[in-house]
Amino acid sequence: MARLLHLLFEYIGRPSSMSGPSMFPTLAGENELVFENRITYRFKPIERGDLVTLKSPLDPGRIICKRIIGLPGDVICVDPTGKVAPSSEHVLLPQGHVWITGDNAAYSRDSRTYGPVSMSLIQGKLSHRIWPLSRFTKFSNPVTFLD
Amino acid sequence: MVFRTPIRSLLYWSPSVICIAHTVSVKQISGRSMQPTLNPDTSAWRDIAVFDQFSTHIMRPCRRDDIVALRSPVDSKRMLVKRIVALEGDLVKTRPPCAEQEVRVPPGHAWIEGDEPFRTDDSNLFGPVPLGLIESRLMFIIWPLNRFGSLAVHIPKDRSSPAFRRAMDQLQKEKIRHSRVVAAIDSGSIHSSDS
Repeated sequence: MARLLHLLFEYIGRPSSMSGPSMFPTLAGENELVFENRITYRFKPIERGDLVTLKSPLDPGRIICKRIIGLPGDVICVDPTGKVAPSSEHVLLPQGHVWITGDNAAYSRDSRTYGPVSMSLIQGKLSHRIWPLSRFTKFSNPVTFLD
Repeated sequence: MVFRTPIRSLLYWSPSVICIAHTVSVKQISGRSMQPTLNPDTSAWRDIAVFDQFSTHIMRPCRRDDIVALRSPVDSKRMLVKRIVALEGDLVKTRPPCAEQEVRVPPGHAWIEGDEPFRTDDSNLFGPVPLGLIESRLMFIIWPLNRFGSLAVHIPKDRSSPAFRRAMDQLQKEKIRHSRVVAAIDSGSIHSSDS
């Protein structure tokens, strides 16, 4: 039974708790459970604006949650505010790499510090907030394109 | 416990089978990037090896000279088999496709290379890789049978045999590889100097 559960968690999806302020206000820092969808990212390409979980490029034992900003081939302004890097600095994302940032830019360590991250590190996609029930939400992709 | 149908017993045991597959995996190695260590020209078969998926991050951290299977950082559907040349904090002298002469491996990353420098896509092309991409470590070869066993170099007694020359060549390559790396003294001091 435990093994079956492990398989479900590993390949289909799992609830997980989040900690840390980096994704505020999308995710509160604590006392929240989200559902991590671990199946669709294998078949459907991820898009800009998706919330993903990935292995930290700095510490393989840690799972981090960030938002996808850029996909391979995009040219990204490293930090538009100019606090971490000069706002004129741009990078071209290499093949197989994405640009991730936290929603709370002031308290997030993300691609602005360690650069583009490999898509192979992605572990899953956040689909729902399941706890607290009063704040149950489906995370939909908020991106709108300007023509 | 009695199972009435083979399907039910299959259903019952399949999680255990898959769990064992999570700790140890058997992979066939294709390609020439690890020659002559793996898939040497003298062998008619592609090597099949047992990989340990369990210990890589939990019990035994990766070391230099380990042969590991990792997900390609540029294409998440591809698996690579390469050798770890340097770990975080080490200073590596690079090989041709790399733009810089020397690279300091950042924290949480490793420098990986194939043993055959002309036929490999490795850190010299895409830079240091995060340790999180490394999935398993090669334990021993199971096929072909004459190559069964671990990959440690053993020197044959007969000094005139081709096997002796191959072993000497392998030792020579190992020496060159080690000479290209300046190891970090201890990782604690590296962390503090980087931040």
